[in-house]
Amino acid sequence: MPDETRSAAPIVYTIRGCDACVKLLRKWDAEHVVYEERHVELSQNVLDEARRYGDLVPIVVWPDGRVEQGFGDTIGCFI
Amino acid sequence: MPLATTAVTHPQFKSARFAQGLSYADFLAQATVNRDKFDESYRSVPLTDDDLSFFRKVAGLPHGPAKILAIAEAWCGDVYRELPTAVRIAEATGMDLRIFLRDENPDIMDEFLSNDGKSRAIPVFVFYTADLQYITHFAERSASAHAGLALAKDEAIVRLNLPKTATFGNLPDAERQAFLREVIARIKPYLDQWRKDAVKEIRELLSSALKVPNAG
Repeated sequence: MPDETRSAAPIVYTIRGCDACVKLLRKWDAEHVVYEERHVELSQNVLDEARRYGDLVPIVVWPDGRVEQGFGDTIGCFI
Repeated sequence: MPLATTAVTHPQFKSARFAQGLSYADFLAQATVNRDKFDESYRSVPLTDDDLSFFRKVAGLPHGPAKILAIAEAWCGDVYRELPTAVRIAEATGMDLRIFLRDENPDIMDEFLSNDGKSRAIPVFVFYTADLQYITHFAERSASAHAGLALAKDEAIVRLNLPKTATFGNLPDAERQAFLREVIARIKPYLDQWRKDAVKEIRELLSSALKVPNAG
């Protein structure tokens, strides 16, 4: 299992300005969910890491290895 | 979205502001991601000789397109697939292409929103005359791509035996993820065709706006 899935908190790959990402993090913040945010637009390494899990952000990697893409009623942002 | 609408005001762009846009080389230089994707798309731009002939013809008209304003961000898949097409059109015709980053230029982005003013979809290519009179613009991806995405959703609903009313927003997480994966798998084979369709749509937009035949 890749290192990034061993975190005790979910890892969420986001893009600044992605509406679905903003909505997810607003919800989590309101629910006091602890998470680690990784910005894919800032680093090719992080973007490549995110692409191992999916095609559109937000991508959530849960501590148990489950992966979820997108959020809300739109398809999300393709990366 | 379908063919670009004219619901926005499109104030005449000021020459000084236009000149502040990035060249393609500067855009790539500031990009932290996807330079390889841009290079790959640039090498495979689906412009035919007939397309290039058409764009050169309209660029030669007295009030034809002389400038292209592009709104983009390097992280966006639609941008790295489509922006190189606008770059190659500009290079082939002598049009001046200037790129504005979406998230640093919200006032410009707000003039070209998609989805009934709800989406800041990119890329956007705005064609102007030499004196920056608005001609037309293309946003995000071709109408065929939007139709293809809608069809993929319908087919995925049938394939996964989901309720006909299923949307990304009303399914439990597990079913939602399966739905997304199925839709993505169905649209991936069409991405190259949709790049060709975008060229076709840009031709149609210019032909219609300039009232000239859509012929090379």
